Amino acid sequence: MILTGVLLAVLGLGLVGWFAARGRARLLHTGRGTMHSMPGYHAWHVALWIVVPALIAWGAWQAIMPGLVDGAVMADPAAAQLPADPMSRAAILAEAKAIADNPDTVAFNPLSNAMSVPVRDAHSRFGLIGALLVAIVALAGGGWAFTRIRANFPARTQVERGILALLLIASLMAILTTFGIVGSLLFEAGLFFRDVSPIDFLTGIHWSPGNARSDNLADSFGAVPLFWGTIYIGAIIAMIVAIPLGLMSAVYLTQYASSTVRKWLKPMLEILAGIPTVVYGYFAALTVAPIFRDFAGSLGMANPSTESALAAGVVMGVMIIPFVSSMADDALAAVPRAMSDGSLAMGATRSETIKKVLLPAALPGIVAGVMLAVSRAIGETMIVVMAAGAAARLSLNPFDSMTTVTYQIVQMLTGDQEFNSPKTLSAFALGLVLFIVTLILNIIALRVVKRFREAYE
Amino acid sequence: MSNAGLSNARSGIEPLGNARWQTPEAKRRIARRNAAERRFKLIGLGAIALSLAFLALLLVIMLKNGLGGLDWNFLSGSDSTDPDIAGVWGAAKGSLLTMLVTLLLSFPMGVLAAIYLEEFAPRSRWIEWIEVSINNLAAVPSIIFGLLGLAVFINTLGMPRSSPLVGGLTLALMTMPVIVISGRNAIKAVPPSIRDAALAIGASKMQTVFHHVLPLALPGILTGTIIGMARALGETAPLLMIGMRAFVVTPPGGITDPSSVLPMQIFLWSDEIKSGFVQNTSAAIIVLLIFLLAMNGLAIYLRNKFEVRW
Repeated sequence: MILTGVLLAVLGLGLVGWFAARGRARLLHTGRGTMHSMPGYHAWHVALWIVVPALIAWGAWQAIMPGLVDGAVMADPAAAQLPADPMSRAAILAEAKAIADNPDTVAFNPLSNAMSVPVRDAHSRFGLIGALLVAIVALAGGGWAFTRIRANFPARTQVERGILALLLIASLMAILTTFGIVGSLLFEAGLFFRDVSPIDFLTGIHWSPGNARSDNLADSFGAVPLFWGTIYIGAIIAMIVAIPLGLMSAVYLTQYASSTVRKWLKPMLEILAGIPTVVYGYFAALTVAPIFRDFAGSLGMANPSTESALAAGVVMGVMIIPFVSSMADDALAAVPRAMSDGSLAMGATRSETIKKVLLPAALPGIVAGVMLAVSRAIGETMIVVMAAGAAARLSLNPFDSMTTVTYQIVQMLTGDQEFNSPKTLSAFALGLVLFIVTLILNIIALRVVKRFREAYE
Repeated sequence: MSNAGLSNARSGIEPLGNARWQTPEAKRRIARRNAAERRFKLIGLGAIALSLAFLALLLVIMLKNGLGGLDWNFLSGSDSTDPDIAGVWGAAKGSLLTMLVTLLLSFPMGVLAAIYLEEFAPRSRWIEWIEVSINNLAAVPSIIFGLLGLAVFINTLGMPRSSPLVGGLTLALMTMPVIVISGRNAIKAVPPSIRDAALAIGASKMQTVFHHVLPLALPGILTGTIIGMARALGETAPLLMIGMRAFVVTPPGGITDPSSVLPMQIFLWSDEIKSGFVQNTSAAIIVLLIFLLAMNGLAIYLRNKFEVRW
């Protein structure tokens, strides 16, 4: 609480410093005539020297304060009554903290009420020390910067250096996110692989985490049926729908349609890509799946299920059409015009030119686009969650219900079990596999696209 | 088929005056090739028509199911077990708060990163790593970001589960690469002469970028940002991971309260057994699609109004 106030005070102080520094620099300006930097830069220089060190001090104090508070509370005489068992001790302390924050909280354990007093004391004491520390740092930084306001002081260079550091930090966020993803997936998956060996996980064909016990863990977490379901739905059924439709729309839009028709049809096609996946999932479950079920019934299949790989795959394919279409569009546009002109001049019809010249020339780009589309399809979640089903089975029948990697990740993490059970951790292992596969597909595809563009330049 | 717009594409092979072209065999061949040409064109048109028909079917079914449920009670109410009382305002407010967090984090970060990479970055191995990781992050499945949010924000940093704060942070990490990529393209499109002119009259590199290049690139950056935000608004899977599927009867009051978001509300209602929820789900889908349409429309408007062709 007190520290939030400190934060606002620091910002206020920065504002004051900004105006004071600008005023002083302006005085210098009128007195001397020429200066290295404009008054505004001096103002920013001082404000930055107030705010940045103070914020660093604030953050550091936020990080070490809980430890100091805990130490002080443990040293308090009331702590002697705490049970030795670390679990119940932690529970009482957590409750005491809740009471210290909000006196109306009803305590589960009477000891918590007694403990809340030293907790509150320690909080306010260390909060005050922290506030003082931050204030000293802010004033020291501001004061030092203030004495440097001189006509020949290069304030602009200093401020620009600060901004450059900020820009660099912003762009490092991307790397930090990547490290965060890789690190957290590896760590949690590592915990999972302590219980289940990676070989059993990657090659086992029985997926039944529901009845996993400590003696049959290796048998319950075989992920092959999930991989098969993912590939069957995302890379086979969806692509059978998306590749011909997407490719042919791209061919029509780039080769046949006039610019007006193209101007209208292309955005309409892109709407398909803008519809949220949860809407597709609902549509698949509500409309498409029953149609396929009835169709399966009319083919003479016994008890066709409502959830089918076909429904999820077809709807996913439709979702991917604009993506394939725009990738094919780019690939076709990269083929030099002289190639198709040459073919047309030899007397080939347009369709012959497209089939014999354009498409073969654009093939690497199209293949890369399809790879990106596959990586998108296998990472797609909501459609399969709503339409594909939970049964992990190795089947070739598209009318069967099938499950995918993403579906199981959702399934494992939305229940109420404790976080460290193998069931929950398996979601991270599946996530790791998904991440690696999509990463490889993306890297290869981006490289192919790059080389393909260079080949025609 | 034979409207004016398509006439340029209709040029088949016309038999010439040369006698060799007049033999029945040659005529048959030419007729066959022309037929193949027409067939191919028809297939292309058919592919587009089929895709658009699917889109139309989806929209018509949603409108037919949901239009009856759109009234003031629905727009101002929150979630409930009774389909007649349930409304979308609680979820819409959750979406609003989440989007606010996402925008406040990803927009400045994305723009600053784009400026650095396009204007200041030296050609080094480090910078190459940053570029590779941005391009890859843009293609990482969204559910992976949800796993990151769960492992880092909730389990390690102990932030409140189901809150717009964590949802917004997670979606910001997902949206930032999109903004960086579109921002870089917008900055790249500003011609070098603008920079040269500013530098020539004595502006520093930083002044050139912030006073001249950035304002000119801003419409493009904003378009990219809106498109990224629209994608984040429709996203469900990562939020499912961080537990934003709370049954929330009152709209969230702040960014740390448990809340739901619009797509999540659609997902939760689609699972309900009571038949009244079919109407609610479709009506919520209409609301979500209207929001997305408005955002994309705004992006197209901005692009058309401010786009400068150099």
